[in-house]
Amino acid sequence: MGEGLLSAALQTRLGPLVLANPIVTASGTFGYGLEFTDFVDLSKLGALCTKGLSLEPHVGNPPPRICETPAGMLNAIGLQNVGVKNFLEEKLPRLRDFGATVIANVWGDTEEDYVAVVAALEGVEDIAAIELNISCPNVEKGGMLFGNSPALTASLVSRVRATTRRALVVKLSPNAPDLVESARAARDAGADVLSLVNTFVGMAIDPVTARPRLSFGTGGLSGPAIKPLALRMVFQVARALPGVPLMGIGGISDLSDVIEFLAAGASAVQIGTANFRDPGISGRLVDELAAYCRDRDTVVSDLVGRAQRLKAPTGGAAGAEG
Amino acid sequence: MLEIAGRLRPYLRRAYSVADVDPDSGEVEFLVRTIGPGTAALEDLAEGSVASLLGPLGNGFSLAGLGPGARVAVVAGGIGAAPFPLLFRAFRSKRIRGDLYLGGRNAAELDFRARFDGVGAGETILSTDDGSLGEKGFVTEAFARGAAAASPPYARVYSCGPMPMFAALARVVERAKIPAEFSTEAAMGCGFGACLGCVIPATEKPFLVSCLEGPILPPEKIAWEKVC
Repeated sequence: MGEGLLSAALQTRLGPLVLANPIVTASGTFGYGLEFTDFVDLSKLGALCTKGLSLEPHVGNPPPRICETPAGMLNAIGLQNVGVKNFLEEKLPRLRDFGATVIANVWGDTEEDYVAVVAALEGVEDIAAIELNISCPNVEKGGMLFGNSPALTASLVSRVRATTRRALVVKLSPNAPDLVESARAARDAGADVLSLVNTFVGMAIDPVTARPRLSFGTGGLSGPAIKPLALRMVFQVARALPGVPLMGIGGISDLSDVIEFLAAGASAVQIGTANFRDPGISGRLVDELAAYCRDRDTVVSDLVGRAQRLKAPTGGAAGAEG
Repeated sequence: MLEIAGRLRPYLRRAYSVADVDPDSGEVEFLVRTIGPGTAALEDLAEGSVASLLGPLGNGFSLAGLGPGARVAVVAGGIGAAPFPLLFRAFRSKRIRGDLYLGGRNAAELDFRARFDGVGAGETILSTDDGSLGEKGFVTEAFARGAAAASPPYARVYSCGPMPMFAALARVVERAKIPAEFSTEAAMGCGFGACLGCVIPATEKPFLVSCLEGPILPPEKIAWEKVC
């Protein structure tokens, strides 16, 4: 198969956002992309999501910030980042040189903060989409507070929608009381794409001192430990809101995981914690997915939603709508 | 950063300092104490097993400005001794005299001390908290006594160990005005500055990223009151 046919096989469409392939790296696990250039050809990825950008540089939480747990990790980094101005001046030009497709992840304490960051990015070339982080569990204000209330989600997303003409991705929290309601609120307010899920709020305690292992107390659980939960949530939202483009996230570590999330209904996937363990994994997954499609004479768009089309038992997920 | 492929626990790589290298055989040596699932998994590996290595990462100890005849000290707490066989090899090649202060809670914690036989240390001063080996007391106290008596005085101190030991040593070297390099320890997720998990409270800015800006850091850049 020639290069052209190959790229056509991997291409994926998420509403207005067309990616060369469905392998995307998740915000917070891929720095600004530039940390990974020894390991991955950034131009090869479907896209990379930047570290969450705020209006001003943000310091983050005191250590300890991370701790390993079975099949994954807890983090409470607290959204440390260089701020949108520095990103535009120092990081984006270099990402351009590497030929990366950039999704700018954005967060704030208030609606006004989110809008200001998105406005600062508007009109800048070579940003493929905005991803709104309304689901970070590791900050006192903002973040997950927006994502856990469909009313706040709707208000925030509609204000951002009015601020940008770019493809708008909204990253949902698995900690929301009703994920489908949150997803519906984001879609109805103008989200083009939903990415799900962010980390699950968890905790680890030192058995000797009885103190939490993270300074923030709780942290976000990620890694293979959450994969079945995340997969179920993607399946559930895809079933409840057919036609809404989804990016699946949660413990994706190998090609089989990618295929499963596509089958559940995701049109793209984000690789997260696996980047820490194996910094070259995202690029390799692009190659492996290309070989998979070639060997089976199939295309990514046919892999999306396969599990939804089967008349198989779906348990509680089938009843998500009502 | 070392990884044992295919495991879900430990899931993340672990950061180790290189204890020694043999350029002729191509061997790289790590000195590891088993304390949790990551180190236990390494210990369980059979001879000839394959582990994935990402590195070298971060900075290293510096010998800049030290000439032949210079006198320096190495202060190590427990398995914090791990990076020093290689450093002593570097001392020897530059004809720097290095004294080794090696401390632990008890004699059993220093059972690897034979690894330092023949590395070319000037003096070796052992200490244990319980007095079961060498001088009784903290290694930082043994070092403070040694530094006060050293002639010529120590031109630099290299140290690795737990944070409370560093905090005590930072006070000693500040009083004695001896430049120091501490090999800091923090839980690392990636080892190359992506996760920002391994930050250390700092004096000139909120945090230093240990894996990128360290792990070797001068004590005056660390905000000790926020560390311990």
